[in-house]
Amino acid sequence: MDLRVPSGWFFSLLGLILLGMGVFAPETHAALTTENVNLYAGACMLVFGLFLLLLAWRARSHE
Amino acid sequence: MKLAPVDYLILALYFAFVLGIGWRLRKRISSSGDFLMSGRSVPVWITSLAFIAANLGAVELIGMAASGAKYGIMTAHFYWLGAIPAMLFMGIFMMPFYYGSKARSVPEYLKMRFDEKTRAFNAFSFAVMTIFSSGISMYALGLLLKLVLGWSFTVSVLASAAIVLAYTFLGGLTSAIYNEVLQFLLIALGFAPLAILSVMKAGGWQGIVSRLPPNMTHAWTYMGSPTENPMGVEIFGMVAGLGFVLSFGYWCTNFLVVQRAMAAESMSAARRTPLIGTIPKMFLPFIVIMPGIAAVVLAKMNLGYALPLKATGGPDYDQVLTTLMSQFYPAGLLGVGMTGLMASFMSGMAGNVTAFNTVFTYDIYQSYIRKGAPDDHYLTVGRVTTVVGVLLSIAAAYLATRYNNIMDLLQLVFGCVNAPLFATFLLGMFWKRATAHGAFAGLTSGTAAAFLTLSCTEAEGKGGWIAQVHQFPSQMAQNFWIAIVAFATCFVISVVVSLATRPRPDKEMEGLVYGLTKVPRDLTAKWYQRPAPLTVAVVIMLVILNIWFR
Repeated sequence: MDLRVPSGWFFSLLGLILLGMGVFAPETHAALTTENVNLYAGACMLVFGLFLLLLAWRARSHE
Repeated sequence: MKLAPVDYLILALYFAFVLGIGWRLRKRISSSGDFLMSGRSVPVWITSLAFIAANLGAVELIGMAASGAKYGIMTAHFYWLGAIPAMLFMGIFMMPFYYGSKARSVPEYLKMRFDEKTRAFNAFSFAVMTIFSSGISMYALGLLLKLVLGWSFTVSVLASAAIVLAYTFLGGLTSAIYNEVLQFLLIALGFAPLAILSVMKAGGWQGIVSRLPPNMTHAWTYMGSPTENPMGVEIFGMVAGLGFVLSFGYWCTNFLVVQRAMAAESMSAARRTPLIGTIPKMFLPFIVIMPGIAAVVLAKMNLGYALPLKATGGPDYDQVLTTLMSQFYPAGLLGVGMTGLMASFMSGMAGNVTAFNTVFTYDIYQSYIRKGAPDDHYLTVGRVTTVVGVLLSIAAAYLATRYNNIMDLLQLVFGCVNAPLFATFLLGMFWKRATAHGAFAGLTSGTAAAFLTLSCTEAEGKGGWIAQVHQFPSQMAQNFWIAIVAFATCFVISVVVSLATRPRPDKEMEGLVYGLTKVPRDLTAKWYQRPAPLTVAVVIMLVILNIWFR
């Protein structure tokens, strides 16, 4: 098992959930910040997840 | 703090992946070696991250934020001084003996190099220590979840223990290692936003420096005397105690971390495991310590944030991390942060349990209870021990309720058990004249010296049960000095007794001692994969960091 595959899926899904929160509930924020934290964090996690999947996919097509 | 449905969704998603990884890996187990040693086939990037993740339990995560708030940037010494030099030493000098000797565990190496009694001493004390650490970690998490989310202590402890048990039981060490990497990534990505948001709110590093006393924002400047810095330690105690004895004792001889490197697919990968691990390790303070420092600043800024208090008055530093999360994380990311905390707990616990089952199966059961059984039998024993280890940890968690500052307690245990150990390994690996009797005499007297020092000195009301010969300014200083005394005692007694006893023939020690072992040269590795260039790069980065935060 290539660990990059499950990790990639995990962070992509996590990123999508947070992005969804950021897009559909942009007003949700905690006491000390007014930033749309979910949106930024979600985008980063989605990119990271897809990057892992890309690495795994490249490694497989090289074999 | 209350979690929203989306937070529970994230938690559930994480548990599903963790269990899924365990389930997929179950088919790889066909022998005790697969279950307890991963069949020595794990890629190097995975072992490197697992190497540091196994140490990054909930206690460290909560404790490092707490220490950040209490001691400031000096806390980073637990990483820069107290981990990285030892990890480099381990990769360059010690790994060839561990991996090359074909020992299955650290105690087994001691058996090969010295004899049965040293192994027994190490195996038993290690087994007790892993259970203890795992229990403390479990206790910390249960208490926190109860305090922050109002979850029942028993339910959160039992539920997370059940999940750890499920995936370690299914996929053994490989499953623990793979999950540790997922956990590490989640901790890093889940807590990095907190560090960024809290430091930005506190006005960046410059804002922090301008609002805190200078001894909270300098790692080295105020170490001249113990009264000047918040930790109450002086430079010699810090460098010799933490930087040398405690850290080398932990990172170079503790089977919990060494086991991750030994699971690597080749000698070259095993040596690179701790070396590559130093790079993320070096930058972890920014994620785990910075929020604690920022919290102190935020509390001074009239933003409506105050440091959490204990019921008895005085700040409750262990709650700093979670109160910050509730101030910065909205529903969604809060779920990620909470999942990260649970993940850190699980990686710490799985690390302990997988080290415990290997040491118990090979070094206690196979050596003293039943020798020469078919391998299937030891695989079953390994699985049963996994269950027993989890149950014992739960018992230890309830014992830990009697102590409050968990980080200090951990240091205390490491001080007494690990400190003399490094002297034994140092002599065993680099001095062929060291004998079995010498090692055993040194190890036992070193451990005894540690407990004796603890019993005769007092710090912050701890220790000094027999007499009060010396008063330390802080418990931290006491721990460091206990380690120094234990190491020195072990070293001296080992040398004296070794010289008085009969040396072992060189021929029996090939592959076990420096000078009688060919250090492998991996000619297929690219230049940047070789230990020397990697080490030089790490040292340069480390020096820059320390100058920056001097």
